[in-house]
Amino acid sequence: MTATNEAGGYKLYWMIWGVLLALTVVMLFLDNAPMPRVAFVLIMVGAMLTKAFLIAGYFMHLRYEALFIRLSVFIGLLVNGAVLYFLIIPDAYRILGMS
Amino acid sequence: MAEAAQQVMEDRWAGGTCPFDAGWRKVMMWTFIITDGLLFAGFLASYGYARIMSGSWPNQSEVFSIPMIALMTFILISSSATMASAVAAAQSGDRKGVSRFMLLTIVGGAIFLGMQVWEWSHLIHEGARLHANPWGDAAFGAYFFLITGFHGTHVLSGVLVIAIMALRWAKGSATAEGIEMTGLYWHFVDLVWVFVFTCFYLL
Repeated sequence: MTATNEAGGYKLYWMIWGVLLALTVVMLFLDNAPMPRVAFVLIMVGAMLTKAFLIAGYFMHLRYEALFIRLSVFIGLLVNGAVLYFLIIPDAYRILGMS
Repeated sequence: MAEAAQQVMEDRWAGGTCPFDAGWRKVMMWTFIITDGLLFAGFLASYGYARIMSGSWPNQSEVFSIPMIALMTFILISSSATMASAVAAAQSGDRKGVSRFMLLTIVGGAIFLGMQVWEWSHLIHEGARLHANPWGDAAFGAYFFLITGFHGTHVLSGVLVIAIMALRWAKGSATAEGIEMTGLYWHFVDLVWVFVFTCFYLL
């Protein structure tokens, strides 16, 4: 049985669609809400990653694929992306502090 | 020993002697998605670097029409759901369903592109250029055109690929696996937009 066969029918996809839309509405609502910057960034990044996991997991059927594919995508994209970001960002703050 | 190794292969990697447990088309598509995704990750990391270093980045809500960007997001998410439905229809042999859902996906992608053209025209009219803009740091315009342009090019190629696959499906020369690979690409375009929307327009 392929990953797609296991992934369920239309109903699941439209449920995921509803969750994605709800998350987007929450993000837009919070865009103008008064709150500390750190909390705002954490909530936004959390919602963004949740949406990404839902799209990759259900629409792209990644959660039904073999562990090797899941690890390749997770390490290849998310971990590499995070390492890339956190390696260069401190340098940006250093340059900002020099000016 | 050999049995134990075999057990590990089957249990831990779930693919037995074929670790990916998938056809070459799917493995190649995932490889492409990872490499292309890293390109976008590089762009967004570079954008974050430039923005923090700048110290005077323009306020997005004063530059962009956030309700319109929200509508673009709604359309792209909806087109992803219709594409997923097209894949499910192809798997279950529903030929008319595939054509219907792919047509809806094409319409969604075309509307998204039209709105992006409008957004670009509007900002160019207001003075946004690759090297300068009226709102602040000069890099703002460069990153806006680079990131949204690169994503828009992916949307355009996705719409074209889906249209070609829809025609092939109507002629009976496309397979369910082909529809699935097309869907993987389209969902990737949607996935990238999730990051662009959050990092560029909201944060």
